[in-house]
Amino acid sequence: MDLRILVFSPLIFSMLLLLPIFSGKSVLIRRFAKIFASLHFLYSISFLLFFDNTSTDNYITEITFFGQKWLGTLGVSLSMSVDSISLLMVILTSLLFLLVCVASKGVIKTKHSLYYALIFILETSVLGVFCSRDMFEFFLFWELELVPMYFLISLWGSGLAKKSAMKFLLYTFIGSLFMLCGFLMLYNFNFIAVSELTADIYNITFNYEAAPIYLQVIASILVILGFAVKLPIVPFHSWLPSAHVDAPTPVSMLLAGILLKMGAYGIIRFNIQMLPDAFLILCPYLAVFAFVNIVYAAVLAYGQTDIKKIVAYSSISVMGLVLLGFCSANSLGICGSIFLMIAHGIISAGLFFIVGVVYSKTGTRQIIQLGGLASVMPNLSTFAVILTLGSIGTPLLISFAGEFLVFFGAFVSSFLNSYLIQIISLSSILVLVLSAIYTLKLVHSVFYGNLPEQCRMLNDIAVHEFLILFTLSVLTIILGIIPMCIIDILVPSVQMITGTFGG
Amino acid sequence: MGFITDIFNSLLSEVCLLLTVFVLAIFSMFYNVKYHKISKWIALFGVSAALVSLKFLQLEPVYYSFSEAIISDTFTVFIKALILISSFIIILLSKKNVTKRNHKTFQFYLLLISAVLSSLFVVSSNDFLMLTVSLEFLSFSIYFLIAYKKGYNSKESSFKYIVTNSFSTAIYLFGVSYLYGITSSFNFNAINDYFMQNEPTLLYSFAIIFISLGLLFKLAILPFANWVLDVYEGSATSVAAFIATVPKIAVLAILARLLCFIMGNSFELPVILICLAVVTAFWANSLAIRQKSILRIFACSSSANASYMLFALSLMSVYNLSTVLFYLTTYIFMNLGIFAAIIVLENSNYALSLQSLRGLAYSNPIFTLAFAICLFGLAGFPITSGFIAKLYLLSAIVRSGVVFMPLLIALVITMVIACYYYTKIVKTMFEKENKNINEILPNRTSSPSVTLYVCALITVIIGIMPAMLIELCKFVAYNL
Repeated sequence: MDLRILVFSPLIFSMLLLLPIFSGKSVLIRRFAKIFASLHFLYSISFLLFFDNTSTDNYITEITFFGQKWLGTLGVSLSMSVDSISLLMVILTSLLFLLVCVASKGVIKTKHSLYYALIFILETSVLGVFCSRDMFEFFLFWELELVPMYFLISLWGSGLAKKSAMKFLLYTFIGSLFMLCGFLMLYNFNFIAVSELTADIYNITFNYEAAPIYLQVIASILVILGFAVKLPIVPFHSWLPSAHVDAPTPVSMLLAGILLKMGAYGIIRFNIQMLPDAFLILCPYLAVFAFVNIVYAAVLAYGQTDIKKIVAYSSISVMGLVLLGFCSANSLGICGSIFLMIAHGIISAGLFFIVGVVYSKTGTRQIIQLGGLASVMPNLSTFAVILTLGSIGTPLLISFAGEFLVFFGAFVSSFLNSYLIQIISLSSILVLVLSAIYTLKLVHSVFYGNLPEQCRMLNDIAVHEFLILFTLSVLTIILGIIPMCIIDILVPSVQMITGTFGG
Repeated sequence: MGFITDIFNSLLSEVCLLLTVFVLAIFSMFYNVKYHKISKWIALFGVSAALVSLKFLQLEPVYYSFSEAIISDTFTVFIKALILISSFIIILLSKKNVTKRNHKTFQFYLLLISAVLSSLFVVSSNDFLMLTVSLEFLSFSIYFLIAYKKGYNSKESSFKYIVTNSFSTAIYLFGVSYLYGITSSFNFNAINDYFMQNEPTLLYSFAIIFISLGLLFKLAILPFANWVLDVYEGSATSVAAFIATVPKIAVLAILARLLCFIMGNSFELPVILICLAVVTAFWANSLAIRQKSILRIFACSSSANASYMLFALSLMSVYNLSTVLFYLTTYIFMNLGIFAAIIVLENSNYALSLQSLRGLAYSNPIFTLAFAICLFGLAGFPITSGFIAKLYLLSAIVRSGVVFMPLLIALVITMVIACYYYTKIVKTMFEKENKNINEILPNRTSSPSVTLYVCALITVIIGIMPAMLIELCKFVAYNL
């Protein structure tokens, strides 16, 4: 049980994949990658065994170089630990990377060793983000994630992939530099307050003499800008549709399934946990942003003709709901948001995979050219129905519990301007009808109706595709029926965080 | 005997270089064509001897020599070591660049070594006379180095350099004369003592603003930055590498010393320098976006990087100085790596435009990897030293006060622009171009390629284990 092994084994494995003995042996590489990813998933599950969900210091460990800290003189160290939020994210990450390795079969046709190496470097950086205990370590992994992602989109993507990849890179980079400024402010406040250099997330303390509230608000805004790009919150979202559309299917799965969650995770860790007072001031404004996110993305999704774009915009809409849950600033809403993050990780990966399968079989993603696929691909359409119903929050499927908690939390939120939040939560519930409309339209127009002439000879999905969708659908159903198995794990950690609000 | 002691205690490395210059001069008179191959070895030997001799200098807190005109302390030794290491690398890079067109290699190395020699003098000067003379010496060597390449462009850029430099020198001397008028001394210590006892006046602020503006020329900060694009493109690539590193290190060092001692009493100066730095960062980075030639892009990038360092340096504190030293050290290795890569391309007859890099990733993966590491380092991505350097530099600026937050944010936005064009170069190397796809760079073990790999390796190693270098920089900064 060592987090260092968990986080860095994908990196080491990716270096192995780049060795010349693997060059050109695509099947061998894919098999190795799948085996490694399954082992990694099992290993990450095993972290649940000795896990104490009331503690923040589970499996605490630190990387040292010859007995020295990484940046000892600055009080920055590469220390890691997990609490229940990060552990769930780690398990979700590990699961999705396993599925992505399986899903890459047939989609990725060139440069296999480089592809899998980049995928595993990405896995290390994402896991590092979730496990890090130190602000600058968090930032290191956050930035590290950009490089493999850039290459994954630009080298294996289609259409304007290079441009989209550059857009993704620049948006995230500018956000993360603002975030860095915010982190440096936090670091500096702490230095002024206790005159000890430390960047440990759990040790940073403020006192109001060192950091008056307006400075905390500035720091909070700077930090949230970085996460706003990743989440994405609406004015900063325009990288997402293009990146999704041009990325290859497995990379879209990762982008929607995991990378968006990094932004939400960052808001929990930094804005809510470390700057609670500033967050309470920002809450009403963020709630408005969240509402705009939900409505705007839903309306845009309805107007799209490209099915991948519909799914991409629906992700933005769901992330708006997650943000609304955070704005409720109570443990119900935050629990709901985290649950919704997990739900969306599972469902959006599935939906993107379905879109990818449809595209690879029919060669088009335009709604007008598709239809009636249910008659030739019954299995695919069954899974598609399960997942889309899951995504719109049908009871007994996964999103329902999350959405319910988010709205409930937002409605009972007792903090500043609570009327505003109640109005917003009520109207967002109405907006959810929109999301039902566009997702059902998607299912209807792709899988039902008239089957176009050129689609009559299509076969149903292959075994590996079936396995992926089966796993995701089973998770959707099981977690929908018994959401408490995750929420029970979450509650103590979330209560510890919301405890700082004093309510 | 005081003379000999002074030399042994503070000027050993300068003497080594001076002897090298003499040897090169003598050889160039008699064996110019016949033995031109050994000129590189003589120069390398001289620089390494100078590097080794740094170890024997007297480092008791501060050692003054030649009636306090020369200073020798930990800081100068650190900076001199940086200068000598980078000139060592540049000599390694410049062989083919020089010999390709003519055989006057002795003259080239003679000029190069004398430029290095004069920048060492700039670093160790403790007196405005000494500083002025060595700055002029440095500029003169650089005039000829720029004009050394054949063709019209190099002459033009050399002339540009001369004109701009004369202008900036005039401004600098104007400031010095004011300062002399106030304090009636050229010596830094004496001037410092004077302002310990007397209140600084407005005239003093004017004087130091002029002095620092004059010094900004070599850093290519805005009022005197227009030369930088043409000069980088017009001169031989190794000379461009030289201009991008050695004079910059020297001038940043002397600026740090001046800001630390005699320029520290003014409130206006830091504000002006910071504003200039931010404006330059914007100017240089946005100029670089549109450039087609790689050399011109890196001219802009060098100007921008100098402005980041100037920003942190003008908010003078020990912590800031240590971050600047760290940034400088990492920047030099990344920059020399990039110039090594450019020289490799140039030696294999690539056109130095962005488009000619297409498809390089598929024909030369290892070269591309090393080049990309240096580029990502400059952009500030993790696992490279550039990431740590950026983090450390920004932490210093944030620590200097909340007042600077808006300017800091402006600086950060320019860093994003910089990230764009660095990434664009990497992107171009990954673009498919069937024509070039089999054009493998010859001679993988030539000294520029090895330099590139070594620089990339250093960049990664510092990025993973930065603690030792940070400790060193803190120690050095604390001792200034």
